[in-house]
Amino acid sequence: MATKVLIADDEMHILRAAEFKLKRSGFDVTCVEDGQEAWEAIQVERPDILITDFHMPRMDGLMLCRTVRSNESTATLPIIMLTAKGFDLSGDDGTSELGIAAVLAKPFSPRGLVQCIQEVLETGTYVPNVATF
Amino acid sequence: MPVNRSGASSVFAWLCPIVLVIALAATGVMLVLYGTTAPYAAYISMAGMAVALVLGGLYQASNVQVSRSLLTQLAKLSSLQNEYIEPEQFEQQLHQSKLPPQARRMILEIYQTLESDQDSIGALQQKSARSEVRAHLAESRVSEINCVIEGLTEPVIMVDQYGELALINPAAVTLMGMQDVAVGTRIDDALPCDSIVQLLNETRRRKLKSSRVAEIELADPAGEKHWYRITVNTVADDDNESGGESNFGAVAVMRDISGYKAIQRRNAEFVSAVSHEMKTPLAGIKAYTELLADGEAEDEETRDEFLGVISGQADRLQRLIDNLLNLARIEAGVVSVSKKPRSLNDLLDEAAAIVQPTAEQKNITLNVELSPMYLGVLADRDMILQAAINLLSNAIKYTPDGGKVTLRSRLSDREVHFEVEDTGVGLSPEDCEMVFEKFYRVKKDQKMASGTGLGLPLAKHIVEDVHGGTLTVKSELNHGSTFMIALPTVQVIEHAS
Repeated sequence: MATKVLIADDEMHILRAAEFKLKRSGFDVTCVEDGQEAWEAIQVERPDILITDFHMPRMDGLMLCRTVRSNESTATLPIIMLTAKGFDLSGDDGTSELGIAAVLAKPFSPRGLVQCIQEVLETGTYVPNVATF
Repeated sequence: MPVNRSGASSVFAWLCPIVLVIALAATGVMLVLYGTTAPYAAYISMAGMAVALVLGGLYQASNVQVSRSLLTQLAKLSSLQNEYIEPEQFEQQLHQSKLPPQARRMILEIYQTLESDQDSIGALQQKSARSEVRAHLAESRVSEINCVIEGLTEPVIMVDQYGELALINPAAVTLMGMQDVAVGTRIDDALPCDSIVQLLNETRRRKLKSSRVAEIELADPAGEKHWYRITVNTVADDDNESGGESNFGAVAVMRDISGYKAIQRRNAEFVSAVSHEMKTPLAGIKAYTELLADGEAEDEETRDEFLGVISGQADRLQRLIDNLLNLARIEAGVVSVSKKPRSLNDLLDEAAAIVQPTAEQKNITLNVELSPMYLGVLADRDMILQAAINLLSNAIKYTPDGGKVTLRSRLSDREVHFEVEDTGVGLSPEDCEMVFEKFYRVKKDQKMASGTGLGLPLAKHIVEDVHGGTLTVKSELNHGSTFMIALPTVQVIEHAS
C-alpha cells in the first residue's frame, strides 16, 4: 500500500510540481491550498506524512502544526515544512518544539523532497544537504 | 606723638610756670621778712598768679591756633590727595604749606607709606575684582549649562563617585516616572531602572576614564516602549587631579532611537518580504526545470505545461523586480518626473485599452464611463498610466470570471476624480487598512492571483507623493471594491480656446 502524503501550499505551481514528482515516485498524494483545508483533509485522509508551507491563507503552517500536535490522533504525524522563509526558521519560532522533522527551503528540489520524505519516514529525522540551504 | 608748637606758644608755655614761681617766691620772701603783716604780699602773690593765668590762657590760645592751622594745612593736603597728584607735586605742596618742618616730615612719611600701601591695596582690589568677575561668570555659566541640561529632550542622569545621584534632568524624571527626585540618594534606591543603574555603577567603578554605549528598551510611564541608545561617560573628580587613584562619577545621556529601530525593522521586514516574494517564482522555475532535466515529463503536453510554468514564473519574477525598482526609484526621487497639463480621459482610455485583453480572457466586462468634459491634470503621463493600469489589473485579478469592472471619471470643484469599481471578492475593513502596504496581499485571495504585492503601494505613491492627489478604497467583503483617485485639476487654455 502506497505511503499517503498530504501537501499543503497556496502556490498552485508548487503543488503541481511536488504532486507530479511524488506520484511518479510511488506516493499516494493529496493536495490542499491552505492550512484549514489541510487539517480537514488530515482527519479524513489520515496521511502518513504532512508537507506544509509556512505562509498560507486561513491557517498558516505553524498553526496547522500546533493543531496536529494538540490532537491525540494526529500528535505523532511526521511533518516536513516547505517554505520560502528559509533561514528565518533557524530562529526560535517554535518549529523545534512542534516536532517538525525537517525544514526544506524554497526553491526546492523535487528529487530532494522525495529523499527527505523517505529519510523522515525511515529515521524520523532528516539531515539536509548543506547545499539545499 | 607730641604736636609741634609755634615759637610764641613755647614762650608762653615756659613763662607761665616761671612767673608763677617768681610770684610765689616773692610772696614767700615778703612773708619771711615782714611776717603776716608784710605789706603787699597778698597783692604780689595775686598779681603773680594773675600773670601766670594770662600766660596760660595765651598758651592755650596759641595751641588752638596751631591746631587750627594744622587742620587747615592737612585739609588742603587732603584735598590734594583726593585729586591725586604725583608724589613730587605733593611734596612741593607740602613744602609750601605753613606747617612746621617736623609736621611736614611726618606727613611726608605718612604719605609715602600710604603711597606704597596704595599700590598693594590696588593690586589686591584688582585681584578681588577679577575673582568676583570670574565667580560671577562661572555662576552664570553653571546656570546656562543647567538651563541647557534641563531643557534637553534627551534624558541625562549623573552619579557621583559615591554612587549617589548628582544630577537628573526633567526628561529623565519623566521617563523614569519618578515622583520625588532626591539628589544625593544612592542611585540603586533613586532610579527605578536596574539596567541604567548597572551601567552607571559599572562605568564609575572602572577607575579609568572611559565611555560605553548600550541600547536598551524602556517603557515610558504610559507603558509605551522605546529604544534608547545610552552613552555613559566617566566624570573625573577634579579634587583628585594631583595624583593618587582617581575617583570617577558617571553621566548617562540617553537618546530615543525608536524611529531608527523602526526603520531597521522595516528594512529587515522589507528584505525578508522581497526575498520571500522572489523565492516563490524561483521555486517554480527550479522545480520544473529539474523535472524536465530528469526526464519526468514523458509526453509533449506535460513538457509544454512545465515550460509554460517556467515561463510564467520567470515573467512573475521580472514583474516583481521591475515593480521593486520602480517603487525604489520613485521613493528615492531619482525618477525624472515630467508633469505637463494632460487630458485625464485620454490616459484612462489608454489604460483601459491595455487591460482589455486580460479582462476578455476572464470574460469580465470592462465598462469605461468617462466624463464628457475635458479633465485637465498636471501629470506625468507614464506614471498616471501605470497607476491606472495597476488599479484596473487588480480589479480584473480579484473579480471572478464573468464579473464586471467599471472605470469612471468626473470633475468636481477643484479636482478631477476617477475610480475603478469591481464586483470582485471585496476586502475586509482590516484588509482595507493594509492593502496599500508593500507586499500585503489579501490572504483569502492569494490563490486567485499571483500579484507582487507592490501594485497598489506603487499606485498610491504615484498619486499622492508625486502628484499631490489621494488614493482611497471602499469595499464590502464579497460585494466588490472601489478604488478612488482624486487629482488637482489644471486650466488648460489651449483646450478652452
